[in-house]
Amino acid sequence: MKKGKYSYFVEKKALETTERPRKFLEAFAAVLEYSNYGLPLEVYARLSTKCSRCASVCPLYEATGEDRDIPCHRSELLLRVYRRYFTAAGIMKARMFGGFTLNDEYLDRMAEEYYRCTACRRCKATCPMGVEHGLITHLSRWLLAEINIIPKALLVSVREQLEGVGNTSAIPVLALKDTCGFLEEEFRDNFNVDVKFPVDVEGAEYVFFPAVSDYLLEPDTLMGNAAVMHVTGGSWTIGTGDYDGINYGLFYSDRMMERIVNNVVAEVRRLKGRKVLVGECGHATRSAWFIPTFCGPDAPEVVNFLQYTYRQMRAGKIPLKGDKIEERVTYHDPCNIARAGRITEEPREILKAICGDFVEMTPNRTENYCCGGGGGLVSIDEIRAFRTGPMGKRKADQLRATGAKYVVAPCANCKKQLREVIEDNGLEGMEVVGLHDLLLKVIDFGAGPAAQGQEKEEK
Amino acid sequence: MMESWLAWARGPVFIAAFSFMVLGLPRHVGITVWEVARAVHRAGDKNIPYRKMIAATIGWLIPVGKLWNQVLFSLTSLLFHVAILIVPIFLGGHIALWARGLGVSWPAVSNPAADVLTIVAIVTAVALVVQRIASRSTRALSRFQDYVIPLVVALPFASGFLLMHPSVNPFTYNATFFVHVMSGNLLFVLIPITKLSHIALLPGVQIVSEVAWHWPPDAGSKVAVALGKESEPI
Repeated sequence: MKKGKYSYFVEKKALETTERPRKFLEAFAAVLEYSNYGLPLEVYARLSTKCSRCASVCPLYEATGEDRDIPCHRSELLLRVYRRYFTAAGIMKARMFGGFTLNDEYLDRMAEEYYRCTACRRCKATCPMGVEHGLITHLSRWLLAEINIIPKALLVSVREQLEGVGNTSAIPVLALKDTCGFLEEEFRDNFNVDVKFPVDVEGAEYVFFPAVSDYLLEPDTLMGNAAVMHVTGGSWTIGTGDYDGINYGLFYSDRMMERIVNNVVAEVRRLKGRKVLVGECGHATRSAWFIPTFCGPDAPEVVNFLQYTYRQMRAGKIPLKGDKIEERVTYHDPCNIARAGRITEEPREILKAICGDFVEMTPNRTENYCCGGGGGLVSIDEIRAFRTGPMGKRKADQLRATGAKYVVAPCANCKKQLREVIEDNGLEGMEVVGLHDLLLKVIDFGAGPAAQGQEKEEK
Repeated sequence: MMESWLAWARGPVFIAAFSFMVLGLPRHVGITVWEVARAVHRAGDKNIPYRKMIAATIGWLIPVGKLWNQVLFSLTSLLFHVAILIVPIFLGGHIALWARGLGVSWPAVSNPAADVLTIVAIVTAVALVVQRIASRSTRALSRFQDYVIPLVVALPFASGFLLMHPSVNPFTYNATFFVHVMSGNLLFVLIPITKLSHIALLPGVQIVSEVAWHWPPDAGSKVAVALGKESEPI
């Protein structure tokens, strides 16, 4: 297919270039006024020492060797605009000596480069000056979005979620109920057990928000989730008002992110639920962790399904069959839950309990390599060659080195991207699965607490 | 003639330059602390992992555990910092000046040790520039100040070494002294207005980066209103 102005498709209005620099600067000024981004920009603009340590940990730069792919080089794009237009010294310097002026060409460069970064934040840990390049990418994309430069794939999903059917995959409630019914039937046929996908149950402890695409693409993950709830007697529900944890606002606009997060909380409150239970999805979890930001300290607690399952397993509430999974299994840390060290051990403990041959890929945990599809890039199909080529090269090398049969990636985005990495890099015989897909194979439905009546689940 | 120039450099220029730094750095710190407090106050989620931030800050203030990445460059940089921090503050001659001027003093390093550290400072300063030029990625990032500052930092050390060792000094004592004092003065002025401001800002940057993710709850809606986009379809 013919590529347009950028490597990704955009809508028509993104190509109108009337007064874009002025509009960009107006948006920048408004963001500086009402957000907290002025603080890091001011500090970074002063102390960035340009040491290039970030270059040696960025999987993209390692693969391409292009100057523009050095994290610090990319961040300088925005810092230069900030210095020139929003600091006294920059304004004075421009008056006296002229120099840098923001123009259309420069904005196009930003549009291209900030979508060559997955905002995986691996570089943060190596910057002696503590510069958060992922934050700069995040902010720059928001500013670009205000002049309508947004990858069409992300824009269309958010439009569907906020103004259309109500979720990013445009699954109507009827289809959702159908799918749940179908999965319940699968349980009866394959496991001879009556597992429920409860819908619109008021007062449930957990309201469930998976990546909505799981209903289309990851039935085994959802069945694993439901199986865990079944054997542990967990009180949970799916809400028909909002059943999508996906939040592409995180990838291009804080304005959209705020609206999507508020919808999640509104649904929990409608159902008088107490907690947000996020399915196997990295960015949905990280977005949900912003609930206290938008909804205050009384907002519902956020629990990722890995955390729930781990807690239940430790409490001895997940009965397992005698046989472990024999094939070699490895674990991919999704950046959005692992980079800051928030969820790294729980999945490993679960996997070690159910797998006979678990191997780590190196590096791992907070130092993992991004799958190559982070920051929403995975949804942009037209850049697949870039994602699985230079961006996915490191990951492919890592996967190859493990010799694993199953790659466990508890994230809808990572799963799609890793499957494509495997396909495009000739890693044959490797299968990408969710953690709960594997768990489903070894759960023993014969003797769960659910069998002896619902047991009150402790916190 | 040279003597009056020297007196000028050591007197009014030193006082002006040193004051510029002494006022400039706390200004950066003050503004940053104020802005951090304001950001946290505005943030919807005020739960900031301070302990983790402090640990990260200490990790970078004593970065011996961070040398694995770009080992040669990092080691050069570490040695450079150790040398340029110790020598000016703990040199016997400098302490004597403080004692004479303000009546305060503290233990000094021995002169031979100071000599070694001075040579380390000069060699590593030059090495930093050489490595900056030799590596493609740093070259791609470098601005004018990135090449010049290490060399400016090396000047007072080189001139200081010649002052301490008149037998190897090809220049007159007073001329060397003048260069020594003036290059020091130049640094004092550069510190608050260049990347050297990391002297004051580095201890706060981990927390700045963390707080940056703690947003005001309504920033998005307010930006929408400011841009007249509150009812614009997506």
